[in-house]
Amino acid sequence: MATKLPAIASLSAADVLVANEPAWLQTWRQAGLAAFNTLEMPYWRRTDLTAFGFADMQLSADSGTFRIGADAPPGVVVMPMHLAVHEHVTLMQANLGAAVAVNVSKYAALNAATWRDGWFVYVPKNLETTLPLHLIQGFGAGNTLMSRNLVVLERGARLTLVEQLMGNGGPYSNVVTELILGDGATLKYTGMQTWGSAVHHVGHVVAKVGNDATIEWSAINTGALHAHIEAETNLIGNGSRVDWMAATVASDGQRLLTAPWLRHVGRSTEAHMDFKTVVKGSGYATFDGMIKIEGGSTDTITRLEEHALHLSPQARSDSIPGLKIDTNNVQKAGHASTSGEVDDEQLFYMQARGISKSEAVHMIVMGFFEPVLDRIPLESLREQVTAAIAARI
Amino acid sequence: MSSELVIKNLHANIGDKEILKGVNLTVKPGTIHAIMGPNGSGKSTLSNTIMGHPSYTVTAGEVWYKGQNILELEVDQRAKLGMFLAFQYPVSIPGVTVANFMRAAVNGHRAVEGKDTRETQIPMPQFRKEIREKMAALGVDEAFARRYLNDGFSGGEKKRIEILQMSMLKPSMAIMDETDSGLDIDALKVVSQGVNVLVQANSEMGVLVITHYQRLLNYIKPHVVSVMMEGRIVREGGPELALELEERGYDFIREEVFGNGN
Ligand SMILES: Nc1ncnc2c1ncn2[C@@H]1O[C@H](COP(=O)(O)OP(=O)(O)O)[C@@H](O)[C@H]1O
Ligand SMILES: [Mg+2]
Repeated sequence: MATKLPAIASLSAADVLVANEPAWLQTWRQAGLAAFNTLEMPYWRRTDLTAFGFADMQLSADSGTFRIGADAPPGVVVMPMHLAVHEHVTLMQANLGAAVAVNVSKYAALNAATWRDGWFVYVPKNLETTLPLHLIQGFGAGNTLMSRNLVVLERGARLTLVEQLMGNGGPYSNVVTELILGDGATLKYTGMQTWGSAVHHVGHVVAKVGNDATIEWSAINTGALHAHIEAETNLIGNGSRVDWMAATVASDGQRLLTAPWLRHVGRSTEAHMDFKTVVKGSGYATFDGMIKIEGGSTDTITRLEEHALHLSPQARSDSIPGLKIDTNNVQKAGHASTSGEVDDEQLFYMQARGISKSEAVHMIVMGFFEPVLDRIPLESLREQVTAAIAARI
Repeated sequence: MSSELVIKNLHANIGDKEILKGVNLTVKPGTIHAIMGPNGSGKSTLSNTIMGHPSYTVTAGEVWYKGQNILELEVDQRAKLGMFLAFQYPVSIPGVTVANFMRAAVNGHRAVEGKDTRETQIPMPQFRKEIREKMAALGVDEAFARRYLNDGFSGGEKKRIEILQMSMLKPSMAIMDETDSGLDIDALKVVSQGVNVLVQANSEMGVLVITHYQRLLNYIKPHVVSVMMEGRIVREGGPELALELEERGYDFIREEVFGNGN
C-alpha cells in the first residue's frame, strides 16, 4: 500500500490531522499550519537556507524511533508524546507551546502543525531524582523527523536528563524541545545533537526558568551535515540561574550553527555561558548569540565566554555575540572571546616534555572540551562521546 | 657519545632582531653551571633556543648533545634525548590535569618508534606510586594531581610543578630558567633539594642554572659561573664570581667588556 506523502510546500488542513487526536490539539495544529503558511522565511545570517528548502521535504509515514537508554528514575513520568496528549491533558494544555509558541518561526510553526511524536517528561512537585534519564531518538532514511518534546519540572523537582539525537536518517529533522522549570526546580540537561553525517537538522530548544530555579545546560553539537539550532534560556523567575556550556565540532563539509539566546527577565538572575567550538577540515561553525537584559530586571549577573579553535587553515568559524540592555540595574556583565589556532606556547611547552606534536594538539583540544564533557552524567555515554570527538580531531 | 652540552657560536633572532650574538658555552657532564646576567641579556632566549621554541630563529651556530646537533631535532626529540627546560613562565593547559599531563610526558619519553605504546607505557600503579612520592617530597598537595595544569596556580606552585616534572622525567641535562623567581625562602629550599636529589642520583647529569640573583646558588652550588650580557657570554669563573656579582652588581663587568662609553 503506497500512500502518497504530503509535500511540505503545499500542506492542507487535512494533511496535519492525526487520527483520534483530541480536539484541542487539532485546533492547536491548525494554528501552527496557519502560522506556517503566513510567516516569511526566516532571515538566517549564516545558515544556508537552501539546505532546508521545503521543495523536497515531505511528511513521513514513520514518526521516528524513541528509546530510553537507561532506567528512568522512579516517580518520573516518561512517555511518548502521542500517548501523553491523551493521558495528561491538563499538563499538556498548560505547557505545550509555553516555551516555543506555534508562531515564533516558520520552522517552529511547521513543527507545531506536523509533529508526530517525541518525549514527554514530568517530574512531580518536590521529587528529587538523581538517576540520569537518557532519552534517545532517531529516524530512518528517506524520512522527515518532526519531533516535539516537553519536559516539565514542578516546583522543587530535580532531574538529570540527557536528550540525544542519533542515527543517520533523514535527511530532514525538525526537533522542538520545551523545558519548563517550576519555582526552585533544578534541571541538569544534556542536549546532544549527534546525528549522522547526512542529516539536515533544525532545532528549537527553549527553557523557561521559574523563581530560584536552576538549569545546568550542556549542549553537544557534533553531528549532522547542516544544523541550525536556536536555543534559548528565559530567566523569568527571580533568582533563576543558568550555567550553560556547549561543545561544537564541525569538520568535513559540516555547517553547524548555534544561536543561543539568553533573556534576563526576573530580579537577581545569573547566567554563565561557556561555548566552545572546534573546526577542522572544511568545517564551518557559527555562534550567533544574543543576551538580552530586559527592562524590569535588576541585579543581573551575566557572563559569556566563547572560544573557537581552528585545526586547519580552511576551517571557518564565525562569532556574532550580541548584548542588549534595557535596564540600568545590571550587577555584572562580561564577555570574553577567542578564536584561532592551537596556542604555540602550549604546544612548545608540551613538546618540551617529550609529548609529540600530534599528541599535544589532541590533548589541548580534548582539554578544551573537558569541562563540558565532564558534565555528561552517564559514564559510558561520556566515554563514547569523548572517544567519538577524539577520533575526529 | 658525549653528554656534554656544547654551544658553538649561537646566533638567534626574534623577528628581525638579533638577540643571541654568538654564544659559546660548554656544560660538562656532572657539573652545575650557572648563567647570570641582567634582565634582557638573552638568558631566556638562550634556553628557549636550545629547546627549540618556534619564535626564535637560529641564524648561525650549533648546539651539540649526545652526538647530535640538537638544533636539527624536533622539540619532543630533544626532550627524549634527556634535555629538560624548567620554564621561567610555565604555561597553563586548561582541561588537562597535572596527572594526565605527567603521564603523557612520561609515556612520551618511553615511546619507541615502531613499537606499540601499550608495550612501552608506564604501568598505572607504578606511575601513581612515583608521582605520589615525588609530590610528597616537593611538598605539593596530592589534590594538585587532579587540577588543570598550572591553571590558576600561584607563581610558587608553578615552579614546584616544574620541578615535579623534572623529578618524574629524570633528565640528563636540565636547564632551569629563573626557577628562583617568585619563590619564598622555604619554597626555594624545597625546590633546590629536589634538584640536588636528582643530581646526586645521576653523576653524569648536567645542570644549567639561569638566575638573576646569587641567592639560589647558596642552595644549588655551581661548579662554573658564566655571565651573559647583550647576547654573549662575557665572563666565566668559579662560584666566587657569583659572590662578586652579588657584591658589585653587573656594571663593573659591563665597563670591563664594553668600556666606559657604553
Ligand atoms: N617575544 C619577543 N619579541 C621581541 N623581543 C623580545 C621578545 N622576547 C624577548 N625579547 C627581547 O629579547 C631580549 C632578551 O630577552 P630575554 O631572553 O627574555 O632576556 P632575559 O631572560 O635575560 O631577561 C630583550 O631585549 C627582550 O626585550
Ligand atoms: Mg628570562
